[in-house]
Amino acid sequence: MVEKGQTKTFASKFVPRIVKATLLVIITYLPLYFLSAFIEPFQSFFPWYAPTTNLFAAVFMIFLVVGVFTSGTIYQYVFGVARALVTMIFFICVLNGGIVALAVPVEGASVNVMVDFRVILAMLVLVCLLGIGKNVVQAIDFVSAKVETKEL
Amino acid sequence: MRYAVRALGWATKIVWILMVFFAATSVYSALNVKMGFGQPQVFLSSGFIIISVPLFVNNTGLYDLSELNMTVAVTDYNESFASTSTTFVPLIPRGSSIETAHNVSMSLDDTTSKLLDYLFNDTVFNLDLSLKLNFAGAIPFQVSTNMTMPWGAPLHNFSIGQFSYNYLNLTPQELIIPISFENHSPYFSVDGFMRVEIYNDNSELLGSSVSDLNVPSHSSYDGQVETIVDVSKVTGSGEVHFYFETSAFSIGPVVMSYG
Repeated sequence: MVEKGQTKTFASKFVPRIVKATLLVIITYLPLYFLSAFIEPFQSFFPWYAPTTNLFAAVFMIFLVVGVFTSGTIYQYVFGVARALVTMIFFICVLNGGIVALAVPVEGASVNVMVDFRVILAMLVLVCLLGIGKNVVQAIDFVSAKVETKEL
Repeated sequence: MRYAVRALGWATKIVWILMVFFAATSVYSALNVKMGFGQPQVFLSSGFIIISVPLFVNNTGLYDLSELNMTVAVTDYNESFASTSTTFVPLIPRGSSIETAHNVSMSLDDTTSKLLDYLFNDTVFNLDLSLKLNFAGAIPFQVSTNMTMPWGAPLHNFSIGQFSYNYLNLTPQELIIPISFENHSPYFSVDGFMRVEIYNDNSELLGSSVSDLNVPSHSSYDGQVETIVDVSKVTGSGEVHFYFETSAFSIGPVVMSYG
């Protein structure tokens, strides 16, 4: 009887989280998948893109899943900060610090293309910093709420 | 604290949406910008070699292109710097196109030795092209390439043959000078006049004459110049001075020794 109740608690606690984590992983993976499909014809010009993206996707999803499973604890926000940091590092790496330079062979000649994404990168870093700030404020709020509950 | 969290959440979401929107529209716009260089053309005009590089930009994207800056640096076969020039277009609004020619001019008047080199010897010009522009006022973009352009000398292998006389039974005699050269230039024909002055080794003028020239591109000239000379002054050696007055260039004297 006790075992049955424990199983029920476990199921009611973890099944929604598993479903939520699965959905979030799918939603996160879709843009990366479409971006990879879009980039694929130009893969030879961006040799660093695929390994970086795969590594980023793996790490990001691990933090996402762990974040979902640790929701309701302080670790949820810790992993949220980690996720935003990973995203920020990914953008810095994939945009090569803001300056993307390529050598494209055109009719036997080599055409050098240089695109300055520093403004875009600055905006992306800003978004990630906002995410980090949000998680930090949420963590402070969570801890203070817990202390208040304890004191009461 | 809740309000701060909520505000940060909304700010993050709004910035993400703006970023995704800008990224998507930028990619769409970039794919709708057609840009290219035409085949460089070379012509000579009043003491200048002009290399004209046609450039077209068709901006059918959603954002303006600004500060288009095209620079071409020309170096010749021995890497010596020949010329550089810049074309600047401040703005190409969305939905518009520009078609312009970027001209690189090299003055030949101040570099007679170079001019002689280019007129008599084939060479290869090295063109360093660089194009910079600002996309949507936020993404500076630069394309650069290097191309070579063969230069065919219009008076390639210019030479004079053995002199001969057409005896007229008089003191002045008709001197015949065989002349040959090949017009290797793919860009222009050598049409105009060639003035010839013959000097003895005391630098005394023996005689002069003017001949017509009409040598199309990629064809050779094999003719002779007949000049009435004072045989009493002929010393067996000296110099021939050539002056060319053509539609493409004017140069002289080109000095060649004989004897």
